[in-house]
Amino acid sequence: MDDLNLRVKEMIIQRLKLEGMTPDQIDGTAPLFGEGLGLDSIDALELVLGIEQVFGVKIEDEAAGLKAFRSVDALTEFIREHQQA
Amino acid sequence: MPDARAHLPHRYPFLLVDRVLEREPGIRVVAEKLVSASEPYLQGHFPDRPLVPGVLMLEMLAQAGGFLEAEPLMGRAIFLAGVQDARFKAPAFPGDRLRLEVTFDAAFAGLMRVNGRVSCEGRELCAAKLLVKVMG
Repeated sequence: MDDLNLRVKEMIIQRLKLEGMTPDQIDGTAPLFGEGLGLDSIDALELVLGIEQVFGVKIEDEAAGLKAFRSVDALTEFIREHQQA
Repeated sequence: MPDARAHLPHRYPFLLVDRVLEREPGIRVVAEKLVSASEPYLQGHFPDRPLVPGVLMLEMLAQAGGFLEAEPLMGRAIFLAGVQDARFKAPAFPGDRLRLEVTFDAAFAGLMRVNGRVSCEGRELCAAKLLVKVMG
């Protein structure tokens, strides 16, 4: 687990108040929504705001969200790509 | 300014916005609700000491937030999806002219978050963030 990946997991836990959960309990390859972490559309809005605030990366629309929210690992890569851009 | 009854599907006794004072669709709305002594809910809340239930101030803000939508909400569905950081600082009484201020905060995938504030003569009564979903 690299540093950015860890920070993404910490941001998810903090923003979504997943109390009692630790970063190593989050499967980086599992889907964020539905199965996996089981997040919903309200969580999506919270994450979009968190990602913008913490990492300075904007998720502009649903299409970008679909790509970024596939999994925590996909989200980490999305942030990495857009931070460099 | 749009007529509340032409924009919102709500009707007596649950239309809780009397008129819109200021409006920039998608950005900001200021509306008004005059609390009348004949409001049905005041009969029992409470018999000797009528005051507006806090949850109804949230509903007033949600209805005022409906005016952020440019098009009338007739025939469409608007859902309150969440309430965050709600604070009730002082009660509203019959005769109070309530100022309902709602400003856009954020949106993603059809879900909108707004900041709401109810005040009366410059005094803040209630503040909350509302999550609203508009369908159709």
